[in-house]
Amino acid sequence: MDEAKTHNNSNKPRPRLLKCLVIQIISHSTFFSVVCFIAGIVALLLLPILAMNTYISENALMPGSANNMLSSNDVTVANKLVKDLTDLKLRSNGSPIESRKLIAQYMLGLDAEVTYHNFYPQLNQFHPLHFFTSPDSSIISKNISCASVGINTVGIIRAPRGDGKEAIVLVTPYNPKKVGSGDALSLGVAYSVFSLLSRVTWLAKDIIWLVADSQHGEYSSVSAWLREYQAPHFHRVVVNSETCNESSTMEGKLHSRFRRAGTMTVALVVKVAEEGNNFDDSLSIYAEASNGQMPNLDLINIVNYLAVHKQRLWMKVSKMESLLGSKWLNTLGVFFESIGQYARRLNPQWKFGIPANEYVEGTATLASSMYYQGLGVPTGPHGAFRDYQIDAITVEVSPKVSPTKMNRHIDFILRFGRLIEGVVRSVNNLLEKFHHSYFLYLMTGPSKFVSVGYYMIPFALLAAPLPIVAASLHVFSSKTTSQAPGASEVDASLESWKWIYSARKVFVIHLWGVAISVLPYFLCQIPGLTPTTNLTVWGSLAVLSLVILYSILGYPTSVAVASGAEKREWVNLKSVTLTAVSIGLCLMSIINFATAEIGALLIVPFCLMARPLMLDIQARSMRTLLLATLNLALGFIAFPPAAFFLLKSAFGYSDGYNISDYWNWMESLWAWNSATYLYIGMVHLPCWALCIHVLFHSC
Amino acid sequence: MTKKKKVQSFWMWVIGSVTLRLILVYFPRNLNLSSRPEVSTPLTSLRRLAEGYWLKRSSMSPYAGSMYHGSPLLLTLLGPLTVTRIEGQPDQLLCSLVFVIADVISAILIRAAGKSLQAAYSSSLKVLGLHQLSENSEVLPSGDFAALVYLWNPFTIVACVGLSTSAIENLVVVLSLYGACKRLASLAAFGWVLATHLSLYPAILIIPLILLLGYGPDAPPRKLFQQRINLEVDNSSSSASSHLEEEVKDQSRVLKVFAWRPVVHFLIWILLWSSYVLVLCGIYIQKHGGLQELFKRTYGFILTIPDLSPNMGVLWYFFAEVFDFFRSFFLIVFHGNILLMIMPLALRLNHRPCFLAFVYIVISSLLKSYPSVGDSALYIGLLGLFSYELKDIPFSFLLFAGYVGVSLLSPVMHNLWIWRGTGNANFYYATGIAYALLQVHYVYPSSLNVQI
Repeated sequence: MDEAKTHNNSNKPRPRLLKCLVIQIISHSTFFSVVCFIAGIVALLLLPILAMNTYISENALMPGSANNMLSSNDVTVANKLVKDLTDLKLRSNGSPIESRKLIAQYMLGLDAEVTYHNFYPQLNQFHPLHFFTSPDSSIISKNISCASVGINTVGIIRAPRGDGKEAIVLVTPYNPKKVGSGDALSLGVAYSVFSLLSRVTWLAKDIIWLVADSQHGEYSSVSAWLREYQAPHFHRVVVNSETCNESSTMEGKLHSRFRRAGTMTVALVVKVAEEGNNFDDSLSIYAEASNGQMPNLDLINIVNYLAVHKQRLWMKVSKMESLLGSKWLNTLGVFFESIGQYARRLNPQWKFGIPANEYVEGTATLASSMYYQGLGVPTGPHGAFRDYQIDAITVEVSPKVSPTKMNRHIDFILRFGRLIEGVVRSVNNLLEKFHHSYFLYLMTGPSKFVSVGYYMIPFALLAAPLPIVAASLHVFSSKTTSQAPGASEVDASLESWKWIYSARKVFVIHLWGVAISVLPYFLCQIPGLTPTTNLTVWGSLAVLSLVILYSILGYPTSVAVASGAEKREWVNLKSVTLTAVSIGLCLMSIINFATAEIGALLIVPFCLMARPLMLDIQARSMRTLLLATLNLALGFIAFPPAAFFLLKSAFGYSDGYNISDYWNWMESLWAWNSATYLYIGMVHLPCWALCIHVLFHSC
Repeated sequence: MTKKKKVQSFWMWVIGSVTLRLILVYFPRNLNLSSRPEVSTPLTSLRRLAEGYWLKRSSMSPYAGSMYHGSPLLLTLLGPLTVTRIEGQPDQLLCSLVFVIADVISAILIRAAGKSLQAAYSSSLKVLGLHQLSENSEVLPSGDFAALVYLWNPFTIVACVGLSTSAIENLVVVLSLYGACKRLASLAAFGWVLATHLSLYPAILIIPLILLLGYGPDAPPRKLFQQRINLEVDNSSSSASSHLEEEVKDQSRVLKVFAWRPVVHFLIWILLWSSYVLVLCGIYIQKHGGLQELFKRTYGFILTIPDLSPNMGVLWYFFAEVFDFFRSFFLIVFHGNILLMIMPLALRLNHRPCFLAFVYIVISSLLKSYPSVGDSALYIGLLGLFSYELKDIPFSFLLFAGYVGVSLLSPVMHNLWIWRGTGNANFYYATGIAYALLQVHYVYPSSLNVQI
């Protein structure tokens, strides 16, 4: 070994540049981490300015190049359907069979293939092993009464020019038990488009119109239909067939078997809001699917382009309303604007900076986009499609006046129907799957987005200090141990493997994280518990298991004690913890970027700052005491429930601090199989616990 | 004190690892490990083996349809187990049990080999007069350590639970190393022949095996012994004492000279065993194209890389991209790469045949056509044998973190590419490259460290 070392030295008169750079960075890790962290936050705040305008990337789409063909004839019939549905509601008090029959009849009138699809509501059940597995068709809750059977009505038009290998899906969620006027109107819109498409000659893809029975929720009906479409299951639930056979009353015109068209290329969920917005007809787009997956940006672009340029609709994407009025954001916007003006004065070519109000709007939209992606819960029935790699969005129109009071249904249907027609026609031109435009982006406005290339920068800057500080701590600890006197050679060399003990501790704590992430699965099995008791039981079990696990596995070993190393152990522990955090954050940034970004904002400062309080208190200077308080504050912020309530109040959603809110929130996360839940349980919480351990380490 | 403690708890740890494996085997099929590309390659997948067995049972060639590419012997051994179902038990329970047993036996063999290595090493250190060093080297029971590393390595566990036949391939490799360490020529030959038959790449292990049989287990470089003896002779000539001369003679006996006898035995045994294996295979596959077909479908499949489905290695992507007319050229380049490294390494490390074998295994698993985690399991386990020499290997923590990171990242990238469709092949391939880089970094500093 010595031979090798001398060999190395003689061969390299000066160290390599890269090595030099790494050594420099590691030795100035504090400086670098502060700079990186601040730069990360600044870059995050700059994102709305860096946002690009959307553009249609796929040439084949050609939106708006053809004239609209939707005629008043289609619309009149559609309006009749809307009227019939509302009449039916008034007459027979909304019998679900009647309205379903009515829709089927209208579909049959267009020579479509019509079937009913019966499904059984599948409860969103938490199963710890179902993350990241492909959609499974085998779990069906047993013992379902007939009344709860949902029935989707599906109409299919075969394309005259197509080969039946591809299809476009229109979805209108609709509750037959409680027909809202908005629902009826959305059915009318979809019908008008459907009736046009049933006779056009240019259609190259089959059209599927799914009237999703939303009495068990919009998402579950769509996902049940998709599951049957994509992955049929062969062991059905036995339901009392006599009472459920109402669907077969449609005298043989209906297809009794499940009908399929080709591979779905695009799905559009069409909705009309029940409430008028008293402003103008506006269009909202919801695109976030499970785990922050987004449809291809081109799909949003088409809708946006057609709505704004052709139908003169007002486009909206969701915003964090509370941020719009915030003063500090406005100040920041003004600041950035003035910088932009200054830059332009220096060189008119520099187009930096946007007006302050645009900046505030962009930031609010970005925050909301990040929140919904980070939550990992789909924002509508379109989320079900993304699980099968189908691009889908929900398009919701909120009319100027409420649909019940609206007296000009025809105009509304014509306007909205033309939009849908345009989108379908444009998608119909597609030769391949959407692949040109972005999949990974954040919206900062209806026509502005931040692509992955930009939004990775703040995250990379936030996460970069973690490995650097970990390396510098590791180097530091190995330096100090090598100077330790009185150890035999083997002990001294074992010191270089001393991180193993810390790694074991970190591993044990992560194991604990896994255990408490699985715990709610068992808690949910016990019926009749309130959220508060659940949360209490969960918390106490978590603490108990932590104590047990720590005393069994994580206790400092005899070797560590013998060499007197446990005093410096926190350095090693922190180094391993930082490594674990950086691995966890990197993983999460690939699974769900927004979660990783928010998580990094919360956990990174605490992880970087954490050092034993004892050291600070012993020093008794102003600076160290400040450091200690800062540490405590950061530790409090990074604790998941505290972070939850703090963020909630910061964004103005505070309706009292009920502790059960947290349980409900977590429940919604695991019920939707959100990876964010796993992140909190397996990365964030264990690392927080480890940092707290470092904080209270005895020195 | 530490040694005793380690030995006492050794069997506890072994039982613990077996229990963990059994728990994982009994876990619901949600784990789905056997369909992971990292675990089951076209060569090691049990599903393919079951298919081959089914084909054979319906009196077709087991190699029909490019499903199975393993050995006929595995087919006879594991095939009947794949179709035996026990009511209420997991589907492939018997096969899983076989793999668990194989893992345990490998671990025990590694332990025994490690013990003999350690004994040989410390005795040669004593000869050199480095008593201090030899005492130190005894403190670390590297055999136990290596065996436990092998058993508890997550890669081994995943490969075992994921029903990959690499557990058996590893077992025969370890068997041959053990046989050579104990100087059992027949056992070493048996292991080598089977390992070569099962996965071809262990063929290059013949050099370390011959060295091991010829020179004995790892020792410090021979010139050190030479120096030592010269020194002793100088001293003794001045004092001219007959007693001392006697001692020097003893020591010169310790000085390693290449022993031809066991090597010749080894070669003869290889001849015997390989003809035996060939005869068995020939009988098995007689009606389906004979041995020629066998070689084409097994070794040919390994060497020409026709299956480009993604795996942990770097070759699938490369050969998916490369133009067809360059294909054979690059095939030669990549396989030649392994062969190229054999000679220099053998010259440099000829006094350390076991370590040489380890380096060969790492290199072949790096450049293999269908690598899986089972291969890494083997070499990480073997690295434990050199724990004393590698105790101050630099960047150990970096390597560890890298392994953890890559092994977590790989399934996520695969999910992003295959299931979500938002990533592409480059994402997954990037982890493959990172993994290969790690392996290089793994073998390079360790080979620097093991020079003495």
